[in-house]
Amino acid sequence: MQAIEVENLSRAFNSLRAVDNISFAVNGGEIFGFLGHNGAGKTTTIRMLSGQLLPGSGSGRVAGCDIVTEQQRLKPLIGVVSEHQNLYERMSGRENLEFAARLYGIDIQRIDPALEQVDLLDRARDKVQHYSNGMKQRLLIARSILHGPQIVFLDEPTRGLDPIVGREIRRLIVDMSKQGTTIFLTTHYMEEADQLCDRVAFLSEGRIVALDTPANLKTAHGQHQVNVTLDNGDCRSIALDGDDAGRELQQLVSNGQVRTIHSAEATLEDVFIELAGRRLSE
Amino acid sequence: MKLNIVSAITRKDVVDAFRHRYLLTALVTPLFVALLFRVLLPATGDKVLTVVVHDAGSSGLITELRKSPQISVVPADSADTTGREVGRIKATGGLAVPAGFDADLAANKQPELTIYVNNEKTVFEQAAFRRLLDQLVRAFAKQPEPAHLVWVDVDKAASAETRLGTRLDQILLPLLLILTFGMIGAFVVPLLIVEEKEKRTLDFLLSSPASLKDIIAGKALTGVVYTLLIAGLLLGINRQSVQNWPLTLLTIVLGLLFVVGVGLVIGSVLKNTMQVNTWASLVLIVLLAPSFPSIGITGWFDKAMRLIPTYYLSEALKLSMAGTVSSQLWIYLAVLVGCTLIVFFAAAWALNRRS
Repeated sequence: MQAIEVENLSRAFNSLRAVDNISFAVNGGEIFGFLGHNGAGKTTTIRMLSGQLLPGSGSGRVAGCDIVTEQQRLKPLIGVVSEHQNLYERMSGRENLEFAARLYGIDIQRIDPALEQVDLLDRARDKVQHYSNGMKQRLLIARSILHGPQIVFLDEPTRGLDPIVGREIRRLIVDMSKQGTTIFLTTHYMEEADQLCDRVAFLSEGRIVALDTPANLKTAHGQHQVNVTLDNGDCRSIALDGDDAGRELQQLVSNGQVRTIHSAEATLEDVFIELAGRRLSE
Repeated sequence: MKLNIVSAITRKDVVDAFRHRYLLTALVTPLFVALLFRVLLPATGDKVLTVVVHDAGSSGLITELRKSPQISVVPADSADTTGREVGRIKATGGLAVPAGFDADLAANKQPELTIYVNNEKTVFEQAAFRRLLDQLVRAFAKQPEPAHLVWVDVDKAASAETRLGTRLDQILLPLLLILTFGMIGAFVVPLLIVEEKEKRTLDFLLSSPASLKDIIAGKALTGVVYTLLIAGLLLGINRQSVQNWPLTLLTIVLGLLFVVGVGLVIGSVLKNTMQVNTWASLVLIVLLAPSFPSIGITGWFDKAMRLIPTYYLSEALKLSMAGTVSSQLWIYLAVLVGCTLIVFFAAAWALNRRS
């Protein structure tokens, strides 16, 4: 079953086309990466899919609900982690979740397990303004999954976090996915997308320029060769689709000249630069 | 609209105000001023004021005056000796009621009423005396401009003050109530909305089952709760100033609906706290202006004040607190209702435009 279906979705702000006629589908239980540079239209897409913003044209269904006509039915079925740490800072972590529980009309007994899942139970009574960035991010995730949504939208969930906290957030994302939650993830970090996502879409200037599994994208856009470093420091690139490739490699290995051999597979960032014509960080 | 969501938002905001220094200051300021004046103006209910009275025509006003537990009446032989008697026995004040006073009132005339104030007494006791007399005359006459009051300072040249509600003590409670309304309308409700935008928590609310209508209703209800809480405390502190509770409460409810509407308009239009701080001060001054006495400034000032809706709120409060049920009061309240409808339409338009 498809968790998200989007057809020809567009949205403009005055003369700027933030999202330009995009179509894609996300399978249930999948971790779907939505990658693009700043201003590519990632957040606008999330805001449309989560019922915060009406599309200019096109259609979309999320968790079986039309994003224009069935927003009220849709909202309890999704969770959103915004790119901004939009928590109530003067309230404690627990109070933030209690407020969310009241909005969603769910039992507050679900708060402790959610806090435990993100390892914040012992700091639940502290005001959020005293939390570190990592703690705030974990609390945002707890808030987004409190009501047991089918789909969670994560907008740059690891941006600005140190590597250890980033790893913790990625672990939480994997945990959510294992529990059957569909994850729609936007990120700047290519390694993160490569590591987490079943499929990724590249967004550039509001348009999807590629959509596939990370492995397929890297294979399709990488070079089919190996880079060999010899003992004397020389480097050689050997094309694998050439007739003599096997013989040349075998000879180097037999002669004991090889120090390292690396495949010349492209990274996701290489693929993105090739397709979008610019780096993600630009 | 989902009531559980509206109440959740209101509950969150009401509790949160106690942690928000700026909001708390805005809410507590009228209470602080009220308590300050309560300390400075000793409880008139506890102190019995001695009043020398010459009643030429057995007026019902004096009968009412004698019923007041705060006043001890001492008769004077004539209108001419009333002032001297006030000074001689060190009374708080005196009152000379002319013959035919009640009949003139019944005929909707404005009979003259001479009131003597003993300058030897503290300004607070004088203020208490003035307030009591003013309330008593309004309640007795049951019309907004019941009599031509001539205030005479004992041992000083007489000074005529014909306009009601111009003394500090007489305007204090309406002024504090308008200050509360102003704070709620100009600062509190706009801040509640703007902060959600500024901190991006509005995005969270909009991605939750809360609709924009639920959010706005929650904010408006928070404004209502704050206003009722502060106004209730103000009325409690100054309860002796209220002669007609149902009318006063009706006026307060209409007033709070108006200012909450103003707050929704401001909150919808402005984007951040800095803008609220900048513009709200101006709005607050405009809202408060009609409740200040126009001492020495009449004519154009009065006309200008009539363009501000809080003028009608302020006047309606004075009349309803004095227990004066008159056509003038209903006109003021009707104007207030009209202004409230206009600001709610403006708020709906502004919100729709933003959404």
